[in-house]
Amino acid sequence: MMLLLLLTLLSAFGSPPYDPVDVSLTQLRPAFYAAVYLNKGSIAVGTLTGIGLFRRYEGDSVWTNIRPNTITPGVGFASFGGRHQLYLAGGNGLHRSTDGGSTWRILTGWRTKEVLSVAPDPVDSLRLYISTPFGVYRSTDGGGTWVEKMKGFKTWYVRRVILDRVDRTVLYATGVDALYRSTDGAESWEQLSVGVPEIKWVLQHPVDPNLLLVGTEDHGVRYSTDRGTTWKQGAGLNTSAVYSLASTPDGKELYAAGFQTGVWRSTDLGASWSQVWTASGLDAIYTVFVHPRNPDHLMAGINGSGVFESFDRGRSWHDAGLPTAIVRQIEMYP
Amino acid sequence: MGALGPMRTTFNILLLCTIIAVPVGAQSIFEQRHGEVVRIASGERDRSFSTITAKLKAGNDVPYALALLDTLTVDEAIGGMFYSYSLIGCYLHTQDLLPDSLKRKVREAYRTRTMYRGDTENHWVMYYTGLYLAAQTWPNEGGSRWFNGRSSSENFQEAGDWLNHWVTTSSTIGQGEFDSPTYVTTFITPMLVLYDFARDPVMKKKAQMMLDLLFVDFAAEHLKGNYGGGHSRDYPEDIINPLAAPSTFWAWLYFGEPGFPPWNETRYRPRHRSAWEPVFGAVSSYRLPDIIYHIATDRTVPYVHRETKRVRNVIRAGREMNPPVYKYTYVTNDYILGSLHGGILQPIQQHTWDVTYASDKPNNTIFTLHPFYSGKELAMFFPEEEKFLSDEVDRYHKVYTNPNKWNSSSPYEQTFQHENALIILYHIEQGAKQPHVDGFFPKNLDELLRDPSGWIFCRAARTYVAIYPLKPYQWMEEEVNWRLRSHELNNGFIVEVGSADEDGSFEAFQEKLLQRKPEYKNFDSTRTVEYTTRQGAKMKFTFDGERVLNGDRPSFKDYGFFNGPFIQSALESGVIRMQYKDKTRTLDFKNVSIVETP
Repeated sequence: MMLLLLLTLLSAFGSPPYDPVDVSLTQLRPAFYAAVYLNKGSIAVGTLTGIGLFRRYEGDSVWTNIRPNTITPGVGFASFGGRHQLYLAGGNGLHRSTDGGSTWRILTGWRTKEVLSVAPDPVDSLRLYISTPFGVYRSTDGGGTWVEKMKGFKTWYVRRVILDRVDRTVLYATGVDALYRSTDGAESWEQLSVGVPEIKWVLQHPVDPNLLLVGTEDHGVRYSTDRGTTWKQGAGLNTSAVYSLASTPDGKELYAAGFQTGVWRSTDLGASWSQVWTASGLDAIYTVFVHPRNPDHLMAGINGSGVFESFDRGRSWHDAGLPTAIVRQIEMYP
Repeated sequence: MGALGPMRTTFNILLLCTIIAVPVGAQSIFEQRHGEVVRIASGERDRSFSTITAKLKAGNDVPYALALLDTLTVDEAIGGMFYSYSLIGCYLHTQDLLPDSLKRKVREAYRTRTMYRGDTENHWVMYYTGLYLAAQTWPNEGGSRWFNGRSSSENFQEAGDWLNHWVTTSSTIGQGEFDSPTYVTTFITPMLVLYDFARDPVMKKKAQMMLDLLFVDFAAEHLKGNYGGGHSRDYPEDIINPLAAPSTFWAWLYFGEPGFPPWNETRYRPRHRSAWEPVFGAVSSYRLPDIIYHIATDRTVPYVHRETKRVRNVIRAGREMNPPVYKYTYVTNDYILGSLHGGILQPIQQHTWDVTYASDKPNNTIFTLHPFYSGKELAMFFPEEEKFLSDEVDRYHKVYTNPNKWNSSSPYEQTFQHENALIILYHIEQGAKQPHVDGFFPKNLDELLRDPSGWIFCRAARTYVAIYPLKPYQWMEEEVNWRLRSHELNNGFIVEVGSADEDGSFEAFQEKLLQRKPEYKNFDSTRTVEYTTRQGAKMKFTFDGERVLNGDRPSFKDYGFFNGPFIQSALESGVIRMQYKDKTRTLDFKNVSIVETP
């Protein structure tokens, strides 16, 4: 009986590198996940208890470090038939947990170095993309092997890679010199003429897949209504460094934040922006997050000041924990 | 002569005979000193695996050592690359002395501690050495038994692959963190542990060859305990006081210089937390080849030594990830004048040039720099956002944005060296931060003269230094040094270094220099200077332009991987040949072999 169970589990996850152990995957409670890159409260490498992946269950107020001592720029998630895969993009590589964060396995080897973001294919459980300071990598065997995919890129550093919401063969990647697009599953990349270098974030509108928005270094938000062919400047954030963009589930409200910008909102699909929170006294906002089921609920990950939270669409904010943390990404899963 | 006179004379003769009978070389030096390192370290009370190893090996303070080891294996606040390799090193050296319960805790640490891999070359050497030896020590265990969820065999494979990659890279195009008086410790120590405990004979051999390479690389630019020449990375405290650097401890243990032990003189005591890492050398079976000892210590004939290294990984400025670094070093019995060719070769801690001289006094160095800092510079190498990086680096390195700092890479600094003469040029852009150049001159110089001719003459023991600033400057008194500061954006210095052997008296040296001046009319527009050295070499140098020597244009290609009387290697050959008199030792990394003649 035990052998049968083991074989069933193994067959469900294939042969290694899939993790053979799998518990309570279908019971994962909705929770917020905060990727803490570094922590200004501790400085020595190797003694970093204040960094890693933190989780806060919905309705709770306490953040728990579920993967400590790991420099964590990003987080990702995929679910296949109720089986959840939680990803941590980190200094040691791409980590995956299939048991809700209790145990982790590093999927990448030394060639991929630090991982900055992860984009799991939502349909093909074996296909994964990661961005790193040394380029984009793709795995087609669930993270067992990785292949560098940089044909068309002019520099190495890629901060973020995302999959198109409609066409899984299309990807977008934020490079040093441009926004890049692939239409063949990362085999090759082309530059999109955003018109400014240093793309920090790319967001595809949740309702209109033709609408792309990018946050840029010192050039605010630019947006394209034809999937990247032509671009316009979003008014109101013209000279700011924008590190993060987020959308309400219905796409009617968009949020942007960055280096000493506070939080800005657009209600006209990115054409114009107005400030909703000055974030006075705080440093850069590295990431802005909108609750996927409650558009009143926003969070902001601050550079060195943890998480701030609003329950009234950004009008008022309060400190929501992780003081001194440098928070790079906030997401909610499942 | 008193009653004991004849007896004393006889004793002295016997002592002299004894000294003569003992061949001086690497082995005798090491045999004299390694036990002393263990003995002294075993009395220390710092929280390091080095001193735990020393205590257990010496049988001194054993209960404390065991208790400390116990604490360090369960302290959840720590874990990383330093921890990873030094824990397994301590364990493998002392496992016969550990109770089973403690052995289990050491094993468990590799499951419960998240060993952070880090983001620098030295981090990875330490991390993967630790992972390799831990996976070798506890084989055939599944992913659930390891902090990273990977099995023993996967960890062993990955660590071995990367170590092989690093050895290949370092032996063909050089290290990125090259010739660092501080960080050399973080390469030597893991390689010692790897050499002692790698069961795979090929990996063991590679560790031995890397140790030979690290030590001979140091030896060729070594002078009486000092690590001379340009450095990829170093801390200001060590740059202005070279014998305070951790490399001094290794020199004392293996080269026999300086003559005093590092721990007895407060001013020379390595200040880093890894100060006792040479314990791993003292208890190692690795022995320095005699030829490296001689290369490190024979300074009877001055020589030019050239090298090519590489830049740390460049991630944001184009696709050339590791551009070459060219080093030129002139070594004598009294001083070393060395330089990197200039520009941003390493972020944060670069030390581009100096003259370091043999002296009984601290602060035995003179140099200049432009204290550059920029988020753009840092963003070339680090994945953090440009706007955060300066503050972020300041948190770790404290002085990055300090206008008075004593380490810096700068795009506005370039050098041209020929033997004991050097031209340094600066072209600082309008609007650049910290628009000045600084020079370090120790206050304890035996003589210092700012001559009306424009030359600044310095004497320290037998070394003479002459510096000609091209532009006006201020002269500021600080605690241990004079600071030359010039706010001119187009700037530069001519440097000539001599010695009693080369020039006779200090006055004679000055006399030669007073007869010459650089030509640099219209310098602000041409940024060109011409200078004829006191030995007749005609140098012409243009910032961002040509280097011309006696009408020829020296090529950096001639630098090879190593090109000097003691080490020769063609770039990317993987074959490094050491030579001392009629003896040679060749490290052939492609065939993993060492050949010695005769």
